[in-house]
Parts: sequence; structure tokens; C-alpha cells
Amino acid sequence: MIVTVIDDDRCPVANALIRLEGVGVAPFQGPSGVYTFEKIPRGTYQLKILKSGFKGVKKSIVIDDESLSLSITLRPSAHVLEEVVVRNATINDQKRQEQLNLEIVTDEFIQKHLGGSLMQSLERLPGVKTIGIGSGQSKPLIRGLGFNRVVVIDKGVKHEGQQWGADHGLEIDQFDVEEAEILKGAASFAYGSDAIAGAVNLRPPGLPGPESFGGDVNLIGKTNNGLYGTSVHLYGRTHKWFATGRVSFQDYGDYRVPADSLFVYDFPVQLYQRHLRNTAGRELSLHASSGYITDRLRAVFYVDDVFTQSGFFANAHGLEPRRVDAALHDRSSRDILMPYQQVNHFKIVNRARAVFGNHAVETEAGYQHNRRKEYNHYVNHGYMPPVYPDTLAIPMNLERLFDKTVYSLRIKDLVRIGNHDLQFGINGDLQNNIIGGWSFVVPSFNQRSIGAFIYDKVYVNHRAILHGALRYDHSFVHIKSYKDWFPSPVETGGIAAPDFVLRAARTNRYFNSVTGAVGINYNLKQVELKANIGKSFRVPLAKELAANGVNYHYFSYEKGNANLDPEQSYQVDAGVVWTHDKWHAEVSPFFNYFPNYIYLNPTANHDYLYGAGNQVFEYAQSRVLRYGGELRLKYRITETLGSELLGEYLYAEQLSGSKKGFGLPFSPPPSLLLNLLYEPVHTAPFKRTYISVDLRLTAAQNNIVPPERKTDRYTVMHIQAGTRFRMQNQEAWLSLQLQNVWNTRYMIHTSFYRLIGLPEQGRNLVVSLKLPFNFPNKKKTI
Amino acid sequence: MIYKKKLKMLLITASVGVFFAGCSKRDTALADTGYPDIDVTSEQAFPKQCSQFSRGAKAVVKAVVSDNVELGSVSFDIHHNFDHHTHSTEVNDCGLDPKKTPVNPMLLIKSMPIPPGSKTYVAVQEIEIPSAIDPGDYHFLIRVTDKEGWQTLKGLSIKIR
Repeated sequence: MIVTVIDDDRCPVANALIRLEGVGVAPFQGPSGVYTFEKIPRGTYQLKILKSGFKGVKKSIVIDDESLSLSITLRPSAHVLEEVVVRNATINDQKRQEQLNLEIVTDEFIQKHLGGSLMQSLERLPGVKTIGIGSGQSKPLIRGLGFNRVVVIDKGVKHEGQQWGADHGLEIDQFDVEEAEILKGAASFAYGSDAIAGAVNLRPPGLPGPESFGGDVNLIGKTNNGLYGTSVHLYGRTHKWFATGRVSFQDYGDYRVPADSLFVYDFPVQLYQRHLRNTAGRELSLHASSGYITDRLRAVFYVDDVFTQSGFFANAHGLEPRRVDAALHDRSSRDILMPYQQVNHFKIVNRARAVFGNHAVETEAGYQHNRRKEYNHYVNHGYMPPVYPDTLAIPMNLERLFDKTVYSLRIKDLVRIGNHDLQFGINGDLQNNIIGGWSFVVPSFNQRSIGAFIYDKVYVNHRAILHGALRYDHSFVHIKSYKDWFPSPVETGGIAAPDFVLRAARTNRYFNSVTGAVGINYNLKQVELKANIGKSFRVPLAKELAANGVNYHYFSYEKGNANLDPEQSYQVDAGVVWTHDKWHAEVSPFFNYFPNYIYLNPTANHDYLYGAGNQVFEYAQSRVLRYGGELRLKYRITETLGSELLGEYLYAEQLSGSKKGFGLPFSPPPSLLLNLLYEPVHTAPFKRTYISVDLRLTAAQNNIVPPERKTDRYTVMHIQAGTRFRMQNQEAWLSLQLQNVWNTRYMIHTSFYRLIGLPEQGRNLVVSLKLPFNFPNKKKTI
Repeated sequence: MIYKKKLKMLLITASVGVFFAGCSKRDTALADTGYPDIDVTSEQAFPKQCSQFSRGAKAVVKAVVSDNVELGSVSFDIHHNFDHHTHSTEVNDCGLDPKKTPVNPMLLIKSMPIPPGSKTYVAVQEIEIPSAIDPGDYHFLIRVTDKEGWQTLKGLSIKIR
């Protein structure tokens, strides 16, 4: 049997301790990272790999062939230095055993490519894009689908924010993410409603090793928006009990663009010192976890709170050009004036796992509370009174408030029968949504859903794995009625009389969905193949069912449709991975069809009453075809020099309805990323030093749909560099990034501010330093 | 030479990339992506930026609109700008009166369809400016859509005396 041990960067790891239970230890090997065991009888063995500086690996392997060859990737021991963490499978094995295309990144990747927010840090991955809102907020887009078509799982529980709005970011602290898994493809069979384009699974941080006590401090600075921040992390564990804590804080000013003046529509805006007025923000996150671990039982509590406050570009709120008090705004680039948003997301999660016999039962229980407030000066539009009435209970500057409470529970049993890995389980959640503020977009609503699934993974032989999954979901949505707080002239029989217009009627809807997937993995020595066909679904949002009001940001009158069906999606995914010598290539094409994609359709009409003279946008369903894929090509030029090419392409077309022949909104144009990486070997006392250059070439996006604008092509360059060195007997990481090296003025098609033509951030130097510390209190044994 | 070979490999890598970028062109001939147009400076158009209206009088507003394929509908909106919130889309400003609190500001919202098949149209609407309303700075907002749902806005600063 041959075991190849490599690290995250696919470099061989020499001198690891490899023990096969009942057989012995493989002799230490040279720099090739290849270890061999001779003449092992067939059977199941425990394989243990230890190497200082990396997390330990323990896994069960089945030897049915003398020439079995295994590749194991060791992960650097991020915060648990030199302590052993047991992981069930390594990243490579996970990718080989997953029928959907999977990208896994670690905190090391995030540190290297640190962006303004988690999703902006992950944007480098092919097929992953973001809807960015200024410099510190973003939401995920997988292959051009976002909002409620991507599920974000945080610590095992579906993250429930206000993901339906383009200006709503994802309330996740990126310093608390140790490992993120991006699943591309029809993932409803695993995650239920909304996982149409895929899922972003933020795994809970690894558990501290037994008898450990330590932590780390992260310091961050950015020149473009004057960001400074820190994240402090502490952990400790006795043999069976552990606790961790983290505090992250960031404060940033208005971000700068390579432009002195802009046009919002035709309205000219002069920028002061190239700052985008009022895009400053701050973020404070608190995390704690504690739990009990034994071989057979594990129970962990996580408590998280993420608070953000950030301004919107003052010269335009949404899409509306505004006159601003420039002197007031330009006094400081760090203050947050109106309009601004304030979001708090609180979460308690309990995860438990018990193993008995060949069963493993897992439960995840969660409570989430998301409270979002948007503040703005009162400006009357349409039939709103010209002066804000002082009799109104709503605070005068509170434009909108959304308050969401979610309780969720998932129970799952994993059982191994012969060569079957069988999973089945149930899940349910309860949601209560309340609105406030003087502007109406979405009514209050309650939602309940329950689901059951079964998933079988069959190890046909050491090469082939078959997957089959089936799932049933039932949801109930109760929409509450809403009436305007101001009268509008309602015409009855030719006579107009003032009346409080009913914006949303009380509605109940029930939805049932059956989804499923069938997939295969076929893994050869140099080639890995995968294919999957699956059906996903999405329960319509309350906004899609019941919106009935003016969105004053977009000069649109949005009309929901209470008769919408649950959105369904059929998708075929494939993946080919080829590794040979210094080459590594991955291609992942997909083909996707929606019989009833839900779409906000801008019509040719204006509505004078409900719409206050604005253009009517109606929710409609149409047939949609999408296809595309990603490409990754890696070539190791020399021992110290590597190159990489990442590409992505997406095509979307509406096949029916009034926008037949058009694409879909927020479709990223094709893009290509060329990378050159230099990793010098002899740099003592510095270790793992790298300099990396990314050149991103993005094509123009001309395949647009109302109310989008065509976006020009652009080329930007980013440089990353970093190293590690000993400090106080601990290994410190220093990472530097120079983003947008040439200070290029460009626009990203999927950015929230694209519609009003705001350029992206100019040149930005990002410096981050991570200082781990630990206090070993016992000698560890192997 | 090993380096030559490596350079070749790099070139191959790069050329694959160029090929990939080249295949990104798509056929957009099917869809109309042109916005409609509002000509606020046309001879016929009224009001123009900084036009004045008189209280107690009738006025005929005219908007000259066009589209490359087919027009949809037009909407007029007059609302006050006593708080200087502004969404004028024109470059020159007309000088603003001091900020003031509205008492009885004029509000007019009127939307009208455009005959099907029109590529150009002059939307005409007779309006009455009541004599009891607050004089001062107002906005005249014109919205026009085409059949595909593209919308163009023009915001003009006007004064009612």
C-alpha cells in the first residue's frame, strides 16, 4: 500500500509519522512524501498520521487490494498548534466522495485573500461571486444565482438573515470561519428549500486538542478605507470539557475610488478626496462555545452575535440621486450618517453527536434572531403626507425594520450497513417575521416547514461510489395584512376619496415538494470523475407572494403574486479532475433548467394609485435555461514556482414569458484568473513564504435584463505575499495584499452599486498579522 | 532545455485561457437592450429645466419620448422640493428658495398609456395649478418605459409662483 502525504498546497510532506494499527509504522521517507507498507492482509485498518505543524489525521481504511494508493492532505494546525485534532476525512477525500462539485477553503485561504467580508474573500474561487454592498458587506452568488437560491449553513444550522434584499449582507464574522465548503449544484436533497444553486457550509471550528490552552490574536489594517480591526481568540480544554471565545472588531471609513466625480444617472456628483460619501461602517462580533467530548458522545453549544452598522452612499439611496449636505458628510470620512443600516444577528446552536453500534445520531438545534434597521431622512413620495405626522408611533428616521426569529431542529442518523453509508433524518423550523418603519416593501409573515430525507452512499468498489437521495418538504406561509398609514385618493365611481390602501391581504399558502438526486463518483489513480442529476426547489418568499408597494429606491411599484408555485430546478453536474506529475486540471460543467423561475418582471406600465406613478414590476414565473462551468488548471513550473488558471463561464436565458430571450439579473460575465506563485525554499528564519500575483480578466456583460445596465470588461491585478516566523516560540503569520495594483477604475456587474454606476474600490493595501499563543500544560503522547 | 519546455507549458496554459475567454461571446441580437429616451430640451417640450408655473392657471405639459423598438407608457409627477431633497437630472440648477415646511404643497401623479406600436410620441396633459397651494420649488418627474420594461427618468426643477 502506498500513502502519499501532501499539504494544502499539494506539496509533499516528508518525515510524517504514519502508523497503521496492527501493522506498524512506515519508515521515514525523503522529500517525496510517499510512504509504503508492504504485504498487508486484506481488512479494515486504522490509519494515523502525525506531523508537527499539522493537524493529525485518523481514518479507517479498507484494504482490498495490495496496490491500494491513498493520498492524504494534512491541514496546518491553525490555532491548535502541535495538538492533535481528529478529523474524519481529509479535504481531498471529501472531494472524491462528494457527487457535487465541492470547493473547500481553510482559514489560511481566507487570511491570504482577506476581503472586506467573508464572501469577498471567497470570490477568487471559480463559480463563486458576490453581490457586494460597499467595502464591508456582501452576499454569495453561486454561478449567478444568489439571494434565496443559495443556502448558507453556519455551524450546522441554516443561516437566516434578510437575504432577499440586494442591499442586505451576510451576517457572518469571517475570522470565526476555519473551514468553508462551497457546494455547487442542486443541493436541496441535503439542505431543503433554497439550495438551488448550492450551499456555503461554514463548518464549526475544529475542537481544541485534549489538555490544551491557547489562542491567537489577529490584527488587520487596510489603506483604502482606513480599516483597522482585530480578532482575539481563546480556547482551552481539559480531557473532556472545552470552551472557546472570540471577539472581532472592525472599523472602517468611506472607501475610495479612482474617480473625482461620478454621474448617478445624469446627476453629477463631486467626490471629496475620491471618497464615496458615507460608506463607512463598523462590525463587532462575539462568539463563545463550550462542550463535552468523548469518543462516543459529543455535545457543543455555540453562541454568536454579529453586529454591523454601515452607511449607504449618501448621494444616492438605492437608485435615487439625492442632494446632500456635502460639508456635513465631508467633515469626517469615518462617521456614519443617514442613510445607514444597522443589523444584529444573534444565534445559539447546539450540536450533539452520539455513536452506538454502527449508528451515529446527530442533532442540530438552533435559535436565531435577526434585527435589521434602515435609517433615512423622511422624504414624502407619492401620497405620503408632506410633513411627517408627530402622532405616528414609528420613529421619524426609521425607514424600514425587519425582525426575524427562527427556531430550527434537525435530527439525523448515519448508519453503516455493509458497503452502504445510509443517512436519514427529519428537520423542521418555525419563523416569525415582523416589519416596521414608515416605508413598506414586505408584509409581516409566519412560516413553518418540516422535511424528511433519506440518503444512501454505496461504495461499489474501491473506485466507484453511487449516491441516491430523496427528500420531502412541506411548508406553510401565513402572510399578515398591511394597510398604509397615510391615505391615498381611491376612486370609486369616478369620485376620489381618501382611503388607507390595503397593501397586503391576509394569505395562507401551503407548499409540498419532493426532491432528490442521483450521483456517481469514479476515482482512478490520475483521474477522478463525478456526475450528478438532481432536483431542487424553493418556497416563494413572502415578498414574491405579497409585495404591493413602491420600492422608492428603485422607482418601482412591486406587485407580488399570491399564486406562485414553488420554484423548481433540474440540474446536471459533472466533474473531471486529472492529476499528473506537475499538472492538475479540473473541469466542472453544469446544465440547469427551471420550469418556473420566479422573476421580478419590469412591465411597460405605470400605476398612479398603488404605485404612486411608478413603473409596475410584477412577480412572474418563466422557463429558464442555464449552463456553464468552471475550469482550473495548475502547473508546477519548478519546485518554487507554480502557476494557476481559473476560468468561469455562465449562460442564462429566459425561454418563456414577457422577457423571453433575455438573461437573468446578476449574471456574472465570463472571467479568467491567471496566477503565478513563488514559494522560495530556503528563507530561514522565515517559513512558508510566498509571493503570488493574480491577474483577473473579466469580459463585458451585455446579456442584461431590465433594469440592468451593460457593464464593460476590465482587467485588475492583485498581489499577495506572506510568511511565517517564530515569535516567542510561536509561529506568527504575516500576510500582505495589494489589491487593484493599477488603481483601475472598473465596475462589477453583480455589485449593488452597479446600477448607479459606482466604481469599485481603488488600490488597497491589506496587512494582517496572526499571532498564535499556547500554554502546553501536559506532555502529549503519540 | 528544461526552461524552454517550461516556458512552452506556460504558453500552452495561457493560450487555453485565451481560448476560454474567446468563447465567451454570446448572441444578444434576440433581446432589445435599449433604453427609451426623453428629450427635455426639444422645442415642444414643456416644462423645461427651471420653467415657471403660475398658481390658479392651467398649463399644458408635453413630454417628447422615443424608443428604438416600441414605447410603453409615460408618467408625470409633480411634488415639492421645499426640503431640497432633489432629484433633478439636469446639470444647471435654478437657484433654490430657502428651505421651508410644506403646508399645502401641490401633488400630482398622472400615468398614461402610449398607443401600441409607437416609436415616438408626444405625451400631452393639461393640468390645473390650484391657487391655494404653496408656491416655491417643485420637481417635475417624467418616467417613460418601453415595451420591454426599460425605464428612463428625467427630473426637472420647476418653480410655482
